[in-house]
Amino acid sequence: MNIKHRFFKFKRDLNRWSLLLLIILAAVAIPILTIGLKLFDGPGDSWGHIVDYVLFDYLQNSLLLAIFCSIIVIVFGVSTAWLVSRFHFPFRKQLEWLLILPLSVPAYIMAYAYAGVFGYSGLFSNIVDAVGLDGFRIDFMNIYGLSFVLSISLFPYVYVSSRTFFLAQATNLLEASRMLGISEFKSFFKLIFPLARPAIIAGLVLVLMEVLNDYGAASYYGVSTFTTGIFRSWFSLGEPETAIYLSAILLIIVFGLILFEKWQRRHMNFTSAKTSKQNYSSKLRPKKGHQILFSLICFVPVCLGFILPVIQLLIWAKQTFAKVWNVEFITITLESFGIAFITALITVLVALLLLFFTKWNKIELLKSSSKLGVLGYAIPGIIIAIGVLVPSLYIDKWLIEKNITSKLILNATLIALVYAYVVRFLAVAYQPLESSSLKIDRSLSDSSKVLGEGNFKTFFKIEFPLIRTGLLSAFILVFIDILKELPLTLIMKPYDVNTLAVKAFEYASDEMVSSAALPSLLIILTALVPAIFLNKLLLKNASNS
Amino acid sequence: MQATLNISNLSKSYDQGKVKALDDVSFFVNKGDICAVVGESGSGKTTLIRLIAGLEELDSGEIHIESQLVASIKKNIAPEKREVGMVFQEYALFPHLSVLENVVYGIKKSKSKKDVALETLNLVGLKGYEKRYPHELSGGQQQRVALARALAPKPSVLILDEPFSNLDAMMRHRLRNEVFNIIKKTGVTAIFVTHDTQDALAVADEILILQNGKLVQKDEASALYKKPQSIYVASLFGNTVQLNKGLQTAFKCPLKEDCCHAIRNESLTVNQDCDYVSEAEILKRTFLGTHSQLLLKLDNGEHLNVVTNEPVLGKTIKIGFNSKDVLAFDE
Repeated sequence: MNIKHRFFKFKRDLNRWSLLLLIILAAVAIPILTIGLKLFDGPGDSWGHIVDYVLFDYLQNSLLLAIFCSIIVIVFGVSTAWLVSRFHFPFRKQLEWLLILPLSVPAYIMAYAYAGVFGYSGLFSNIVDAVGLDGFRIDFMNIYGLSFVLSISLFPYVYVSSRTFFLAQATNLLEASRMLGISEFKSFFKLIFPLARPAIIAGLVLVLMEVLNDYGAASYYGVSTFTTGIFRSWFSLGEPETAIYLSAILLIIVFGLILFEKWQRRHMNFTSAKTSKQNYSSKLRPKKGHQILFSLICFVPVCLGFILPVIQLLIWAKQTFAKVWNVEFITITLESFGIAFITALITVLVALLLLFFTKWNKIELLKSSSKLGVLGYAIPGIIIAIGVLVPSLYIDKWLIEKNITSKLILNATLIALVYAYVVRFLAVAYQPLESSSLKIDRSLSDSSKVLGEGNFKTFFKIEFPLIRTGLLSAFILVFIDILKELPLTLIMKPYDVNTLAVKAFEYASDEMVSSAALPSLLIILTALVPAIFLNKLLLKNASNS
Repeated sequence: MQATLNISNLSKSYDQGKVKALDDVSFFVNKGDICAVVGESGSGKTTLIRLIAGLEELDSGEIHIESQLVASIKKNIAPEKREVGMVFQEYALFPHLSVLENVVYGIKKSKSKKDVALETLNLVGLKGYEKRYPHELSGGQQQRVALARALAPKPSVLILDEPFSNLDAMMRHRLRNEVFNIIKKTGVTAIFVTHDTQDALAVADEILILQNGKLVQKDEASALYKKPQSIYVASLFGNTVQLNKGLQTAFKCPLKEDCCHAIRNESLTVNQDCDYVSEAEILKRTFLGTHSQLLLKLDNGEHLNVVTNEPVLGKTIKIGFNSKDVLAFDE
């Protein structure tokens, strides 16, 4: 095609949706572009010192955390997923959804709870003293303890992704393997594990993103990671330039992870291999002894990841209730829920616009780049915070210099905070919307158009009524994620506004970790909603497929 | 006669030009005619109708509907403004709307919207089904609702995408005649895509054959059957045996070297006098109910598969054909 031809085609296909899509993509890209552009300003004064003395620590700690967490989450996540999808054993049904519950406990809250369990008058020391091993203590506030608390709160990602795979995978492969004389146990390692690898890694990458994103747990346990380093450079050293340099390195690691995940899936489309409609609905019934063992294996992570920390928090909450429960606490709760509610609404709306503008846009290049709009979830909250903070400070400064306003309009206001949340959680809203809209046959919207209705009317009359469940799940998921969010909120929140997550963090940092229990429990309680909801969706999808 | 649909030099490719779906296709359809588009899967049938409907954008060429330019490299009229009706392969009935609401959907603002819809439902024989929902209907009823919905706005061109592929054989034959009787009654110009040549032969005024995105032949049904322009077209309409050198020797029928020749299976005769004959040994006999399939070994050792409905006894037969039945193509 010659250039003139291409130009005519471009001109013909360019519509207002293309332009609107471009605006959304630009808005999402600004924080990341900012980091890239600011690199040209050079690093701060301490950069040399950081490179010489602490950068290696950051790298080493982050790497060790990644390795330890990967091992623990795979062991917990894959084994439990396999057991619940393949065998019958007592309480299997209950354990199936109980195993998702640790996801409702944010890593930093898990860290506080375990600091209590292993603390001087905690559960662990009480038990140890009771059995006569006086004075035996485990030092938990280090990188190993951190790996444990991160893993135990994040392993459900791997559990969910592997279980989805196991549920969707046809049994006939396994049956063929059994017929060829390979035992169930051996078949798992020879056949199922390699087949499930892409699904497991997809879940693992989500875990690693969260590990890199964590600030609360690492800072409380005193482990230096990139995130804590970025915080320190900005807020203790007062060197935004250095913080940006560290952010850039972290960004490269994150993009590396994304590319790795894409690469490992390049030739693998195992899950779509529709070999048989029959799946693991026909579960095996092992010997009684094995059945009890399987129940126990699945119960351990539930206990460690949910029951134990919640008990610790309940004990603390009882002790500190009178002190913590006051007008301020109620105000914070309302503010927290209010911010999460409004932002979730806006995020779902933007995700919806992104999805449909992409559909209505006819320019190929834009269509394929619209996925960039949902990269935010992979990028640590702290980097997005910095990426929003820098330009908003710049705009505020300019507005004040021009005498248009006398105070900050963007920086440290809800506008900047909501904007940062939307960039970070757009993907969370986008995915359920996308999958529910993919379930609608393309010919439905096509026939509406052929019958004379434009994009907009087709959306309201046909697509909107059919994706309502997707909208609801998108809203709930974003709402919870915002309620739990810590590092981004810590940096971006207005001075006079507080959230439950930040309040819990403040209590813990001020050596009043027991007072953090009440806000923490409230967050967990709210987050339980999607944990159960997610399981229902998973079961529904499995039975549909 | 005036052409309702006029297509010139239409091309479309996917994947940045890597996959050519349609390559320089030109044809027209006269007012009130029913035109069938036939081809193997991947031949570009679906792309062609999606371009006509405006659901995709062309790479080059032009589409005119009722003498109005609707698509070119500089212009693309949105599907909702083209006055094209479409019956989708899976019917695409809106699951959350009742039968009546589905049919009313596309009717332009008028006071008698509901009357028009009821009238059309009556036309397709679904009076009394207005309040039902799509999932409460049988496959054939859904098909007719889809047809009513597409006809109700009175389109200039009606497109049907594999209209009978979801129905079983019995239903298919009955509904095929019903549907096209209705279409003829309304006088709308129709274009329908099918991979079943029986459908095309039965109801189309004209048939259009696509192969690898190219238009290879467009003709009336009988002309297409009698004078196919390529072995591809011939084989779409029934089993065809290509007369290669070996077969020509066996039947002692020297044919011109610069063309390709073939004979239809139904033109082969068993134990009858005809222009070219060969002795054949029966290697295998497969009983298929109304007819049987024979695997033959000819005089010179060539193998040939023949389907016949005549009773064949013995181990050897005489197989032959007449010269008037030989199909010749420039290939």
